Amino acid sequence: MIIGENIHKSFGDLEVLKGVDLHVQPQEVVVLVGVSGSGKSTLLRCFNFLEMINEGSITIDGKKVDPKKDNLTKIRAEVGMVFQHFNLFPHKTVLENVIEAPITVKKMNKEKAKKLGLELLEKVGLSDKADVYPSKLSGGQKQRVAIARSLAMEPKVMLFDEPTSALDPELVGEVLQVMKQLAEEGMTMVVVTHEMKFAKEVADRIIMIDQGTIIESADPKTFFGNPQHERTRQFIQLVE
Amino acid sequence: MFELFGTVFEVFMRTYPGFLEATVVTLQLTAVGVILGTLIGLVFALMKISGSKILQGIANVYITIIRGTPLIVQIMFLYFGIVEIYTMSNFWAGAIALGVHNGAYIAEIFRGAIQGVDPGQREASMSLGMNRKQTMQRIVFPQALRRSIPPLGNQFIITLKDSSLVYIIGVAEIFSLANREAAQSFQPFESFIVVALYYLVLVMIFTYLLRWYENRLDVDKT
Repeated sequence: MIIGENIHKSFGDLEVLKGVDLHVQPQEVVVLVGVSGSGKSTLLRCFNFLEMINEGSITIDGKKVDPKKDNLTKIRAEVGMVFQHFNLFPHKTVLENVIEAPITVKKMNKEKAKKLGLELLEKVGLSDKADVYPSKLSGGQKQRVAIARSLAMEPKVMLFDEPTSALDPELVGEVLQVMKQLAEEGMTMVVVTHEMKFAKEVADRIIMIDQGTIIESADPKTFFGNPQHERTRQFIQLVE
Repeated sequence: MFELFGTVFEVFMRTYPGFLEATVVTLQLTAVGVILGTLIGLVFALMKISGSKILQGIANVYITIIRGTPLIVQIMFLYFGIVEIYTMSNFWAGAIALGVHNGAYIAEIFRGAIQGVDPGQREASMSLGMNRKQTMQRIVFPQALRRSIPPLGNQFIITLKDSSLVYIIGVAEIFSLANREAAQSFQPFESFIVVALYYLVLVMIFTYLLRWYENRLDVDKT
């Protein structure tokens, strides 16, 4: 679904990604872990072309993307993204947040979009909040709206950039629950998270990124039970 | 002390018919200054964030010149400069000067408001497949407009007070009336107290209306 090959990304003199190869299969759930500054969020943002790679290539759903020639807007529409800080549109109601892109980008008619929006809000358990503004929601509710907003574009893959890191501990569960449900429905997902319990339960593969390269890639059982790399062992000790 | 109250009151009663007329002129000047300034400000703000070096350069030159010279000089320049090539009433010369002057400040207000919108908003919008134009129109501008209302309100109040400077080209607004009254009646102190009260009341009404509008906007949507 996503093939990243030899991805290099630098910010000025700082090389954040140093030749990353990552193949994500359809319906696969890949969890990216690593200490902060390791480059895992940057990698995620490259897959959505919010950051442009300096070297290497990215193939989305069988199409190799050329950032210079291709219409990135169209590609982004097929790759959903959920942000750490939700980034809901504060001037729009919950429902308006969800149906904004289908109406503006897909030119869906308003009635149809509303129906879709309400279905998605139902799915994330927030149909009763359709008409309130985001400022009235808890962090967990905001993140669930953000997930519904992404799903409204019917993306082929969903990227999650530390979706629970900005939440109070008691609100983490409700967001992970929605993500788990998505995974069970067969959504292809790449998740940057520090929630090891989620990684263990939901991930098909856990990838450890350290200093801009992948140092470990294994199913959860092997990753936690028999890590190959010393840095991975240290990391697991730290988080558990 | 009581004597002063008495004479101020007396000047007030004698002059209010003229002052009411002049107040209309002051408000008209302010309205043109604000509307024209907002339009100019919007255009130059867009030029500044356009990414085009040429447009940015033009906007920077305009803003630098306007902010770097006194309003009274700009009024005189417009009045004597424009009248050479195009006949215009002194009211319009003054009103346009106010608009052009305001435009530079309002451009900076809009630019700041647009750039002050959380970059995450743009990213979220782009990640949903919205293009640059859609992102600006539907996500960034509505939020920027909301953010710019308090500083715009402040700029409107400044415009109202700055409109007094067009007395220099003989527009019959309230300050020029006070100036004339002061000279004719030999009661300069009382005349200027009266005109100060007019400005004060106008500004207070403006402030109140703005606060009411801001509150109405903020309901639910902070």
